[in-house]
Amino acid sequence: MRVELQAELDALEAGFQEAGEIVLRSIRGVIDALRTQDVELCDEVIAFDDEIDARYLALEKQVEMTLARQTPVASDLRLVLAILHSALHLERVGDQCVTIAKLTKLSSHLDTKRTVVESLVDMGERCAEMVKVSLSAFAARDVQAARGLHQLDELVDNANRQVFHEVLGYVHDAEALEWGMRQITVARCFERIGDNAVDIGEQTAFIVTGEFAEFTDASHDPRPLV
Amino acid sequence: MTQMETQPHIDSSRIAEITRGLDRSEIEGREKVFSVTDLAVSYSGKVALQDVSLDVHRNTITAFIGPSGCGKSTFIRCFNRMNDLIPGAEVEGRVLYHGDDLYARDVDPVEIRRRIGMVFQKPNPFPKSIYDNIAFGPRVLGIKGSMDDRVEQALRQAALWDEVKSRLKDNALGLSGGQQQRLCIARALAVEPDVILMDEPASALDPISTTRIEDLMHDLKRDYTIVIVTHNMQQAARVADMTAFFSVLVDEEGAARRGVLVEYDATTKIFTTPSDKRTEDYVTGRFG
Repeated sequence: MRVELQAELDALEAGFQEAGEIVLRSIRGVIDALRTQDVELCDEVIAFDDEIDARYLALEKQVEMTLARQTPVASDLRLVLAILHSALHLERVGDQCVTIAKLTKLSSHLDTKRTVVESLVDMGERCAEMVKVSLSAFAARDVQAARGLHQLDELVDNANRQVFHEVLGYVHDAEALEWGMRQITVARCFERIGDNAVDIGEQTAFIVTGEFAEFTDASHDPRPLV
Repeated sequence: MTQMETQPHIDSSRIAEITRGLDRSEIEGREKVFSVTDLAVSYSGKVALQDVSLDVHRNTITAFIGPSGCGKSTFIRCFNRMNDLIPGAEVEGRVLYHGDDLYARDVDPVEIRRRIGMVFQKPNPFPKSIYDNIAFGPRVLGIKGSMDDRVEQALRQAALWDEVKSRLKDNALGLSGGQQQRLCIARALAVEPDVILMDEPASALDPISTTRIEDLMHDLKRDYTIVIVTHNMQQAARVADMTAFFSVLVDEEGAARRGVLVEYDATTKIFTTPSDKRTEDYVTGRFG
């Protein structure tokens, strides 16, 4: 039994799950900021990204050290690689939260449309749920739950399309259109968070099966982007 | 230094092999050098190894790994009938070499050992000059041609020529451990073998000498087929195209222990996604 390697793998995985919790806090923060159009909360989410980046860099360093010192193979190697990939996905989710917070600040002087904000909050909550499922499926090596993320992602994609079509209706109102176009980008950010959660799910399947395969192939998806 | 000189040299014909390793179908597409079926080896009636079937393919490096007592050294000795020299050793099953039965009555074990050379764990040069160590085999076998050329070629192939060309008459025992091992490889090459068997060839060497032996193995497989037994799993991962994992089977009383072949596959598969849990446990260090 390689006690030291196992200890390093356990520490890596714990660090990854902690990074996941931190990212979830950021998502929840940005959903609240969006719901209440709270500019101060937006600033907090933006500042909080430094914490997420630091967690990512620490994990990357830990992975580098484990590869160099322990040369893991087989399932241990897959776990280390999956953590490296998935940590980067989490870091990107953090970046999407920052973009949403900045866009919310930028459009705070404009009138908001309740229906669109509610759709965006709904999207955000689905995304938070997806990230949560991706983390728990990773911890439990639950491929079925990980695959289920694809279905949840379709709901987020549909919501993204709905926001787009809603904003199209503002075409004759310049101010509403300006606000709406920023919200399209917010919806797009949430849509990317959903994709990142699916990507983490794919890494879980990789750990378990040893084969990497995308759950869906976006490049051959016949449906329109929006 | 110009920019061209700083560019690493990559052999374009080997890019696929270097970047993703050879896969099993590519290796199995090569000519079979050995074909082993239902092999069992016993010493004085005690079974040391049983139920081994596998093929070794031309111009590949095949590694045998496994814990102590798994029979990997016993197995490699079946390929050049070294077990014949051990009293009480008995080999059952079939070992074909290029389609011919290696254990047929009319096969001369000395001729076998010329075509299937062996390098051992501990370098074992003769207490003679570097030159004579290489020349001995060809002389005994009556191989014709210029001996000087043959000695130089063997030493070049073993990546030793530049280090010893000015002192070929010096005693081989004055060489370092790593040099002695390369001399033993050169000695095996001098009789123009087809296969080189290596039983823990680097386990007594320092890391730099080990790297030189491993680099040498990569070079040699263009012309030879190499089979290696190693305790060092990372060495198997670095050098081998195919890897066989052997384990120890203990009977219910815990008295008899015998080696069995657990898994044989492309090295990349063995070290990334092995099929058998016992292999996974061994390569990840969870064995025992």
